[in-house]
Amino acid sequence: MKRLISTTINGRERELAVAPNRTLLEVLREDLQLTGAVEGCGVGQCGSCTVLVDGRPVSSCLTLATNVEGRSVTTIEGVAPAGQLSAVQQAFINRQAFQCGFCTPGMIMAVEGLLRDEPGAGEAQIRDYLSGNLCRCGTYSAVIDAVKDVIAEVGAARDRASAG
Amino acid sequence: MTSIGIDAPRVDGPAKVTGQATYTADIVLPGMLHAKVLRSTLPHARLVRIDVSAAERELGVITLTRDDLAGIDPYYGAVLKDQPVVAIDRVLFAGDVVAVVAAESRDIAEEALDLIEVEYEALPSVGDPFAAQAPGAPILHAERNTPEVQFLDMKSVHFQADSNVCSIYHVAQGDFEAGYAAADHKFDDVYTVPTIQHGHMEPHASTAYWEPGGKLVVHTATQNPSVIRTQLAEMFSLPESMVRVIVPYLGGGYGAKTYPKLEPIVAVLSRKAKRPVSLVLTREEVFMTAVRHAASVRIRTGINNDGQIVARKVEATYDTGAYADIGPRTCKNGGYASGGPYRIEHQDLTSYCVYTNRPPSGAFRGFGVPQVCWPYESQMDDMARRLGVDPVALRRQNLIHEGDTFVTGDKLIAIGLDKCLEEVASAIGWKGIESTRPMPSDKPGFVRGIGIAVMIKSTMTPSNSAASVRLNSDGSATLLTSSVEMGQGPHTALAQIVAETIGLPLNRVTITFPDTDFTPYDQSTSSSRTIFSMGHAAQKAGLQIRDQLLEIAAKQLEASPGDLQIEEGIIAVKGSPDRSLTIPQAFRAHFGTPVGSLFGAFDFQTTGGLRPEDGKGKASAFWFLSAAGAEVEVDTRTGKIRVIKAVTVVDTGKTINPRQCWLQNEGSMLTALGSALQEEMVFDNGQPVNSSFLDYLMPSMEDYPDEFQSMLVETPHPEGPFGAKGMGEAALGPVAPAIGNAVSNALGGIRLRDLPLRPERVLDAIDAAAASGAAASGAAASGAAGAGNGGEAAR
Repeated sequence: MKRLISTTINGRERELAVAPNRTLLEVLREDLQLTGAVEGCGVGQCGSCTVLVDGRPVSSCLTLATNVEGRSVTTIEGVAPAGQLSAVQQAFINRQAFQCGFCTPGMIMAVEGLLRDEPGAGEAQIRDYLSGNLCRCGTYSAVIDAVKDVIAEVGAARDRASAG
Repeated sequence: MTSIGIDAPRVDGPAKVTGQATYTADIVLPGMLHAKVLRSTLPHARLVRIDVSAAERELGVITLTRDDLAGIDPYYGAVLKDQPVVAIDRVLFAGDVVAVVAAESRDIAEEALDLIEVEYEALPSVGDPFAAQAPGAPILHAERNTPEVQFLDMKSVHFQADSNVCSIYHVAQGDFEAGYAAADHKFDDVYTVPTIQHGHMEPHASTAYWEPGGKLVVHTATQNPSVIRTQLAEMFSLPESMVRVIVPYLGGGYGAKTYPKLEPIVAVLSRKAKRPVSLVLTREEVFMTAVRHAASVRIRTGINNDGQIVARKVEATYDTGAYADIGPRTCKNGGYASGGPYRIEHQDLTSYCVYTNRPPSGAFRGFGVPQVCWPYESQMDDMARRLGVDPVALRRQNLIHEGDTFVTGDKLIAIGLDKCLEEVASAIGWKGIESTRPMPSDKPGFVRGIGIAVMIKSTMTPSNSAASVRLNSDGSATLLTSSVEMGQGPHTALAQIVAETIGLPLNRVTITFPDTDFTPYDQSTSSSRTIFSMGHAAQKAGLQIRDQLLEIAAKQLEASPGDLQIEEGIIAVKGSPDRSLTIPQAFRAHFGTPVGSLFGAFDFQTTGGLRPEDGKGKASAFWFLSAAGAEVEVDTRTGKIRVIKAVTVVDTGKTINPRQCWLQNEGSMLTALGSALQEEMVFDNGQPVNSSFLDYLMPSMEDYPDEFQSMLVETPHPEGPFGAKGMGEAALGPVAPAIGNAVSNALGGIRLRDLPLRPERVLDAIDAAAASGAAASGAAASGAAGAGNGGEAAR
């Protein structure tokens, strides 16, 4: 028995018919072909499926699709206009903050949440906030550096704005 | 050199940060069915009855059981064909594949599993290699089906029929008994490491279908497409040309995706279903599909008062689980490396690969060596403490050097281990024997210590890698290779090698994904062999193109080929930049019009292999050398250990991409840190009980040391491209013993011999040391006295 829901996905309003037991991750990947979010564990313990719901990072594998009725979902595909990179994506490239790349979209979405929740985070806060996003290849140092770069850049831009 | 030794940006960056990179589970084919696996609930049982009729009738699913194996060879395996596609007469571990269902959706497939009726007759099971060797233990595999081996190195492995000992490897030199008897000090210890997980974030995934013409096509997350092709061709009695294996990006492998895993299942099931079948494992299933060998290692060492190690005997017993997979090689390679990178006159090294009713153990980053490095590097520090000498100096005194003969008979070349040792000592702040004493912490109840360790490891030898390079008329080039991009960066590093070799801008070189219909044979993307072996093949293939270009240009420019250079795609007379040709101009000169292709191809085979009679010969095309250092803080009230600082030093031969090497070392360090402090698969009556990331704790960003340094030294190898050796696994082995040595130094010489160093084990060791009179506070730290369980002739 499918339910019709209205939701906003990457800025676009969608009407979706979804079965009540389907997760947001399944709907994103299978119905909308948004395959950037991936399933690493299926039970909310690895962070690879992280997306933003109303700006907050959530595990899309634990979120029922019907729960995003009337809410706004942002996936890795929606963080920057097509053909462009967000500041976080660019920082990840600059620092080479990825290897196999499987955890990377989830990691980037968690960083987007971090920048919103703790825009002036220091290293301890960065580590704490991102500790739910596992990476086995060895990129934690690069991710930390990339996040620091973005925070410093945002701070510098703010300083420039207030000085002007 | 313009493209070598630089932090070339990774070519896969844009795809990976935007979520556009394709992994196997992203591939959706028309009409594709989704598979789910029914797994054994018992560690060992006879399969009495299996009935899928209700599932088929009520849900219309396609099933795969032992009744669907007619007309094929149902057994597969890298070394021994001992693993069936689905259980035939028995199940051999909790999680073994009993039946598979393919349905329109995963939900339906899942539901169908509940409708399958299975009747087991429970059999006694063996949970560890010693129980497996006890009199009366049930025999898991009576025979050793050794097909015409693709792997020549396996000839030195002694397979044991009618026993749970799958295979034995032995090598020796000198006379251990005599050397040990005459030694001034004797050490006899047992060290253990548990079963652990690879932890690749992408679960195993495979999709297969059959083309109308009878060709089998498999999209799969594998590290060795060429081996998968061979195994499937043998299974279905097909020419290899009728099996096509395609590999997209891998979300990590670390050895878990070597050799057949899901490919036989989806191949057989899609044949029956006559539709594409996709199988993606859950995380819980990943825990049952591939693990790292648990091991128990007895190590006896004789050392003289002057610090000379004279005799060493190692008996390393590896738990290879229910099926052999690549275990016999893992144990062989761990076996000959178990004496460590030291000149020891008398050595006797044996490794046992033993079947148990546990998930199959296979390749895991480090490949059998971390299990033996943990013992020999821990014991090294105990020996230094006994002799009252600096453990770094003791290593320096005994280390192997360039030109030495290894225990396998290998003449060692490109050996920069002494440099690794000096670099690591300097980076961790080693101050001689003073550094073997506890360091104060500013927090009450905490102590600090530092430790170091070194390692030697081999690579798969002999082995083949073939590469084909095509230069297009616009000056762009394509490298056709079956090397797998699983995060370690070959798409970038191989492009650097091809660009440098031909003289092209880096961004003009493109690397293919493996597709066995088009990309040539490669033994495996593992054993840290890609840069050395595929890099060598790519370099030689590129040189063929370069030579053709030079010949074409020499005619046009009326110069000798030897007087020409190619840089950034411009062929010019050296010293006369105005006498030059672009590549399109060269094509026009050659073909009369700027079309066509120039080709280069090369198949690089490393030579070697070990003799069956004595286990000697040439074990490795090159040797990995590395060192690690750690600074730890131990909470003596809770037993919790935190790694404050970690350092790894690896001899790369020649660094192709320093940034990528850093990240490879960081990954090795982090996995080893997890194995040292927290990771262990736990079984209860044969059932895995912590098969999730909630209960099995891999290091998170919070566990990452406050400081990590990756350093590289370069001792060029004559066969490596630009001198490069492999390095991807090198840093892993010495990290755990470096941490263990740091803990021992922090605790005044208390030695823990069982990984992981869980808090309760640390507390128990502190209590035991206190009870036996050797204080943990530093009284034993003078180096003169052995601590409670540190041990001269402990047994």
